[in-house]
Amino acid sequence: MSQAASAPFHIAADVGGTFTDLVLRDARDRTFLFKSLTTPADLSEGIFNGLALMAEAIGMSREEMLAAANGFACGTTAATNAILEGKTARTALFCTEGFRDILSIRTGGRHGFSIQEDYPEPYIPREMTFGVRERLNAEGAIETAFDAEQARAQLASCAAGRPEAVAVAFLWSHINPAHELQFAALLEDLLPGVPYSLSHQVNPTIGEYKRTSATAIDASLKPVLRQQIAALEERLALNGFRGQPTFVCSNGGRTSSREITQKPVYLCLSGPSTAPAAAVRLAARAGIAHGNVITIDIGGTSLDASIARKGRVAMHREGSIAGHVFGVPSIDVATVGSGGGSIAWVDAGGMLRVGPESAGSFPGPACYGRGGERATLTDANLVRGLLDPATFADGQMTLSLDKARDAIGRDVAGPLGISVDEGAALIAAVAEQDMVAAIEELAIKRGFDPREFLLVSGGGAGGLHAARLARELGMREVLFPHAASVLCAYGTATGDIKFDFSVSRATSSKAFDFAAVRTALAALHAEGTAFLERMDVEPARRTLRFTVDAHYQGQVSHLSVDLDGDLATKDDLARLTAAFHAEHQRSYAVQAPDDTIEFVAWNVEAIGRTRDATHTTGARTTAIRPIVAERHRSVFDHATVTAVEIGLIASDSLTPGDTFTGPTLVEDRLTSIFIPERCIATVTQDRDLLVAIDA
Amino acid sequence: MFTVVVLRRRFESVVREMSNTLAKTGRSGVLNTALDFSCTVTDSSFQSLSAGQGLPVHTGAIHLIPQAVAEKFGDDMGPGDCFVNNSSYHGNTHCADFTLCSPVYHQGELVFYSIARAHFSDMGFPTPDTYAPLARDYYEEGLMLPCIRIQRAGRDVPEVIDICKANIRAPDIFYGDYLATLGAVRTGERRVLEICDEFGVDVVKQFLCEYQDYAEAMASEAIGGLPSGTVSKEFFHDSVLPEYPDGIPVRATLTVDPDARRIEIDLRDNVDNLPLGINMNEATVLACCATAIMNILGPDVPRCAGALRRVHVLMREGSAIGKPKFPAATCASTTNLAHILIEHIQSMFAELGEGLGTGYGTIGHPASAPVVSGSDSRFGERPFVNQIMLGYWGGPAASGHDGWLTYGSGTTQGMLWQSSVEVVEAQQPLLVEKLEIRADSFGPGEWIGGGGASCVLRARADTLRFTCNSGARRFPPPGTAGGEPGAPNLAWKRSADGSLTELPIFFDVVIAPGEKLVSEGCGGGGYGPPMRRDATRVLKDVRAELISVECARKTYGVAVMRGRDGYEIDIDATRNLRSPSKQQVG
Repeated sequence: MSQAASAPFHIAADVGGTFTDLVLRDARDRTFLFKSLTTPADLSEGIFNGLALMAEAIGMSREEMLAAANGFACGTTAATNAILEGKTARTALFCTEGFRDILSIRTGGRHGFSIQEDYPEPYIPREMTFGVRERLNAEGAIETAFDAEQARAQLASCAAGRPEAVAVAFLWSHINPAHELQFAALLEDLLPGVPYSLSHQVNPTIGEYKRTSATAIDASLKPVLRQQIAALEERLALNGFRGQPTFVCSNGGRTSSREITQKPVYLCLSGPSTAPAAAVRLAARAGIAHGNVITIDIGGTSLDASIARKGRVAMHREGSIAGHVFGVPSIDVATVGSGGGSIAWVDAGGMLRVGPESAGSFPGPACYGRGGERATLTDANLVRGLLDPATFADGQMTLSLDKARDAIGRDVAGPLGISVDEGAALIAAVAEQDMVAAIEELAIKRGFDPREFLLVSGGGAGGLHAARLARELGMREVLFPHAASVLCAYGTATGDIKFDFSVSRATSSKAFDFAAVRTALAALHAEGTAFLERMDVEPARRTLRFTVDAHYQGQVSHLSVDLDGDLATKDDLARLTAAFHAEHQRSYAVQAPDDTIEFVAWNVEAIGRTRDATHTTGARTTAIRPIVAERHRSVFDHATVTAVEIGLIASDSLTPGDTFTGPTLVEDRLTSIFIPERCIATVTQDRDLLVAIDA
Repeated sequence: MFTVVVLRRRFESVVREMSNTLAKTGRSGVLNTALDFSCTVTDSSFQSLSAGQGLPVHTGAIHLIPQAVAEKFGDDMGPGDCFVNNSSYHGNTHCADFTLCSPVYHQGELVFYSIARAHFSDMGFPTPDTYAPLARDYYEEGLMLPCIRIQRAGRDVPEVIDICKANIRAPDIFYGDYLATLGAVRTGERRVLEICDEFGVDVVKQFLCEYQDYAEAMASEAIGGLPSGTVSKEFFHDSVLPEYPDGIPVRATLTVDPDARRIEIDLRDNVDNLPLGINMNEATVLACCATAIMNILGPDVPRCAGALRRVHVLMREGSAIGKPKFPAATCASTTNLAHILIEHIQSMFAELGEGLGTGYGTIGHPASAPVVSGSDSRFGERPFVNQIMLGYWGGPAASGHDGWLTYGSGTTQGMLWQSSVEVVEAQQPLLVEKLEIRADSFGPGEWIGGGGASCVLRARADTLRFTCNSGARRFPPPGTAGGEPGAPNLAWKRSADGSLTELPIFFDVVIAPGEKLVSEGCGGGGYGPPMRRDATRVLKDVRAELISVECARKTYGVAVMRGRDGYEIDIDATRNLRSPSKQQVG
């Protein structure tokens, strides 16, 4: 089967752990979706298999198609997986003498405690960590001069360990990089050709752990990713692609292969990071003007949640993989181990628990019939009547209702002395509470009230739970995008070019150093502009968004405040301090207008807006055609402990303007969406479902 | 059950939101960096619901706070009132823990208490310290606030605020920290009222009963799986008193009765109150016992009041490890003896059954985690007083697990955050010259204790004053079940000429520009005989220069030699060293 597509194309690939999703958008904004198996050993193999499918589908050769493409964007879990699987380069770390254990100490603190817990290993082992005699103080002045002789000797010891990459992170180098640069010169000399990373370039912020960890991760990724990216680039070029491929970064934007191989740490969590911004754009298209969006993605083993306020996706610098903080700005994603495969069990006190243990996709839930014996959330949803055993996952698998009922009967209903139907309903309710807790925590820690947000549900398993989660969180609307199951790939295809730069320059509201700040902002302006030029972003599409990280004197955690306009006069400063007090009030319900504000770091997001990102808010679709389900099914309701009738609607029968009430199940090829009682669903122009809760 | 599940989550999120408010708005480092605070709510009969993310020593006996409010004020309180309490004689932990408690009314009925407890960086002690281990009595502690009204109907009682500001150093930081703590209490109040409105107060009350019963059932089940028996044990804290030349004893008798699902801890055989600040009190004794038992029962048992119904603690008034007799000083009651007591109880379980219990963790604060004060010439002589949290490490080993590195002591269990070296140097005019894991400090064992810290703090252009309550010099953290003690806690002042002066375990020392405070922190105690430690783990630590070649040979019976790629195990020599005959001789 082939469909005509009009050149030029924009191609996006989202390389996941199992599948590589591919999206082709043509000149008329039509979207074509494809899937191929990921090939972990060689990033490009899975992509090229998918490109072959894509070319075939549009009736072209792969070469013709790539020659007619003006963009190729790629999100990849390559960096994340390399770290998780320990397949990064053998990396040496050089630190200030006397501080070899920064990567072991981390930040202290702990999520709950148990005497049965092993302390995590450092990212780089101690025997590969070398102290260098040098020391700067908090003001960047030299306390101990850089000792080149000692550094040479340490490099010689290090060379014996045959490092494949080198990380350099000295104390206070973000204030004064001189010693790191002197060391880099020695490195070039003594370990020629070995890639290295310097902390003042990777992550120039205060706090030795975050800076060192980011630098260690960055260096350790360089050899691996350079090779993989170069291979992909070469292969694309050989096959006719004439542009520069772009890669999705942890910050949710995209940058070129050239930039990303310089700072591969930005590839951490590259995969899922475009979904939140895509959700914001889809919400706007659906006519949601406020831009307050919580995005969830429920899969087989976990729920990922992120949050955006007024259209800005919440970022942080605490992102971590396997407990190692990578420190650069990233989308703040909260993850909890609740998904379709989460296992239900009854504890010694007679309380039902769901997860964190998961049956995953193999052996998977009992109803898969692949040898999984234990009751899972998917089994519960099948017993509840919300999954069709014959058409599950596009009919690729037939589910066994008997196996699901047996497992729930044995693991849950029996021990609790309730019926299997009641047990299934309870499993779903308990799992949903864990999901609610994760979403709530994400909002609370930023001082946001979920009730003011729209919930957007992506991922295959979200459809059955999202509306009930929204109700529990007091949210009024949920959007189920038509492209829910491929939200990331859609986001990659439509997302911005973006990179972050920052400068540490401490000053305070009491004695504001206008000159130093002017210099810092000018440097950021130049850095951001140069980046956008390298990325060939036309001037009309460029945005430089400046922020400053600030706190009250004595506080440690800071708030980011936007810098609007100049910062040259007392009045400008007064506007900035007022904005800080207001943000503090909003976030924590208190402010201290008489206190000194300390400004710590100045940042710029250099953004190249794509076509999709620049449109304005769409109009709300008016509900014009009430429809009623023609088929019904009986499901068990845990609140009333009775069976209730729900309507069944096939998603491909819906057209924009259709509207219907719950309880209704919308069945789709890849996913099902449950609209609970007292909810009204409307089909939007994009064929998304916009659901009003308790309307 | 559905309502229980929902309400459990709701109440957990209340505590989380309270904690978040306090962490983000606190002004002193001990709050916003170390997170030395805890928030909770109790019902009207003082049963705590969730220990949340709080510190074990803070939350283990939080019920004493609302109990004190009810006993003292009875009906003389109303909506919006808030009470402050830092008195050991009114159920608080220690003088520097500033605890706010507000009764929460729903339609005129008192349903909850909202409580936040925070360690303040100064409480107006005679010296700039928040522990004062050498305080001889109550009158040498800081400002005492014996459960008094600090807000009436939502407004500050100005006299109380004025008294606090007049007695506490850095009154602005004090007021900022008070507002942060109050903000947490008010957040808790608002959120529990929303829950009552939504679910109805009767449903909520029903939940409270069911949830405490559930916790009790979980605890009962766990106790039923323990071996039965009675164990008595004695260990010592370093002494600074002539009347205790051989150390200050800590004694306990533990009885586990799995059939009756009951645990008893008898502490009545302990010494009388000491003329020191380290006397414990009802709050800290109960919290330490609760922490130890909950650790043994495991993380699945909810850490709330119901779980402790099966645990009975016997203590005596007038005992250093019991209820204090006025005017005994208790300002360091959350540290030294408390540190020992938790793991002392845990270690006794090792005598009941193989693989149970733990070694001991760090006792007292090492000199690298002192209270530091002075004025900072970089910022126009800005005064400061803060506890810095560097190198407060050395966790105890357990069967199957080496000690947690950044553990500190049993009262905090690794929950405290460590200070960043760079943040410490930005906030105080000092230079950290070194902060590394101290080689050979791990208590040896089949499972080794967490390491202590080697740390050097140098004064820059300003003179600094350091106070510290350490311990574990003569009596370092012991091992359990054949495990050995960690290295002792040591501290010196290094003069400009390089000479070293040893500092006592409790010190108050001035470090002038060019002088240094040198700290070698203790390591945690090991678990099981070191000769049984996996030789490859020993080799790994030798390669990392954490265990010396000599220690590997002598203590662990592992011989290493230089190979082509660094150290390798000398298999024959190791076998010889570890043969039973050798071990008996050695």
